Amino acid sequence: MRYSTALVFRTLVLWTVLEILAAWQVRSPAGTPVLFSWMRSVAGPVISTVEWAGALSGDIGVGLSDFERVLADNQKMRLQLEELRARHMLLQEDLGALREASVLVETSANFQTGSVVARCTYRDLGAGTMEVRTADKILIPRDAPVVGAEGLLGRVVRSEGRRHWLQLLTHAAAAVAVQTVDGDVQGLALGTGGSHLTIAYVPRQANLERGGVLMTSGGDGIFPPGIPTARIVRVRESDDPFLEVRAISSADLRATRSVLILSRWAAKDGGD
Amino acid sequence: MRARMIGLAVLTLVAQRLLGTPGLPMWPSEIVLPTVWIVAASLRSRELRWPYEALLLGLGWDLFLEPVVGPGGIAWTAAALCLHALASFVADRSSKAWAAFGVVGALVVTIVHQLALLPFGLATSMTVPHLARTALFSGLWCGLVSAVLALDLPKRWRAYRVRKLR
Repeated sequence: MRYSTALVFRTLVLWTVLEILAAWQVRSPAGTPVLFSWMRSVAGPVISTVEWAGALSGDIGVGLSDFERVLADNQKMRLQLEELRARHMLLQEDLGALREASVLVETSANFQTGSVVARCTYRDLGAGTMEVRTADKILIPRDAPVVGAEGLLGRVVRSEGRRHWLQLLTHAAAAVAVQTVDGDVQGLALGTGGSHLTIAYVPRQANLERGGVLMTSGGDGIFPPGIPTARIVRVRESDDPFLEVRAISSADLRATRSVLILSRWAAKDGGD
Repeated sequence: MRARMIGLAVLTLVAQRLLGTPGLPMWPSEIVLPTVWIVAASLRSRELRWPYEALLLGLGWDLFLEPVVGPGGIAWTAAALCLHALASFVADRSSKAWAAFGVVGALVVTIVHQLALLPFGLATSMTVPHLARTALFSGLWCGLVSAVLALDLPKRWRAYRVRKLR
């Protein structure tokens, strides 16, 4: 059995050698030995495989570089998206400010002449100050009244180019002469350094109700009369000869974005 | 002895070539004369190297008769292996067995040779009648050789000479 196996194996090897020998003798139409064609046929798949592997590695390289480029583009687009979101927020803020300014101008028709629209850029409600900016460089007179869409905000205390600093109603040193809408009751709105105002010098017999609106009376010589200033939140009697009245600013000092500076207002103009 | 065998084998190949001489009928060239060598080797020889001697016979066949050297070696070793395997099953060693082995050997040689030539585009058209005639004539040739060997002519010749000298 072992001999037969060896015999068959050796015979097969012998036949292969003989076939190769014959292939070396026979010429193909191109004039080369058929053996070369066979070798090319055997080597062809190997060469194709090598070429395929080369192409594959090239494709992988291109894919990796593309992937890196995509990552870089993705990062870039993410940054652009963040920038667009920031711009969107700014535009929303600008739009809100413009709407507010529009309302402000409509509701303050009497003050349009010589009035300047400004944009709130900074505020410190605890300190009772606010910084606003105008579009152009302009010198605002000190103590010029500043109103918002919902009411009086305060007065200008410093002006420099486009930047103007306000003293809000809630400032501890602020004081505004106020009266009821019908003008029967008058008082002085004093800033407390907090979020509310104290209405001083209101007689005990005054008829005040919670929620009532107080307007500027013009008696202080700084603010024009008729501007909504405060809304009463508490009325209390005390041992003093005056009522203890607490109010809050009519204007929302936290949310105000656009203001109107009455730069040419002077008490002597009569407040109209 | 070996040199004489080689000489006879070469003589067989030369005779095979002569059988294809132009002008002769077609059927003599269809006899595969060297088949008798592998038939005799498979039925009479006990040596195990004879398939390789068939290879030499096939290469000689290629040198004498074929355009390419190699396929003949494959064909003749294949036929030798076939007959070797067949001889291990068949116990008969008569002239009929020689004829049958000749048929098988001629068929294997012809078919395998054509198959070996196939990759080179050199294979000829092989028809069943041609194959049948080749197998038949080669078998008859082998049977004839067996019958002649069975007659033991040298022994008869020596007996005749002895009788005549008396």
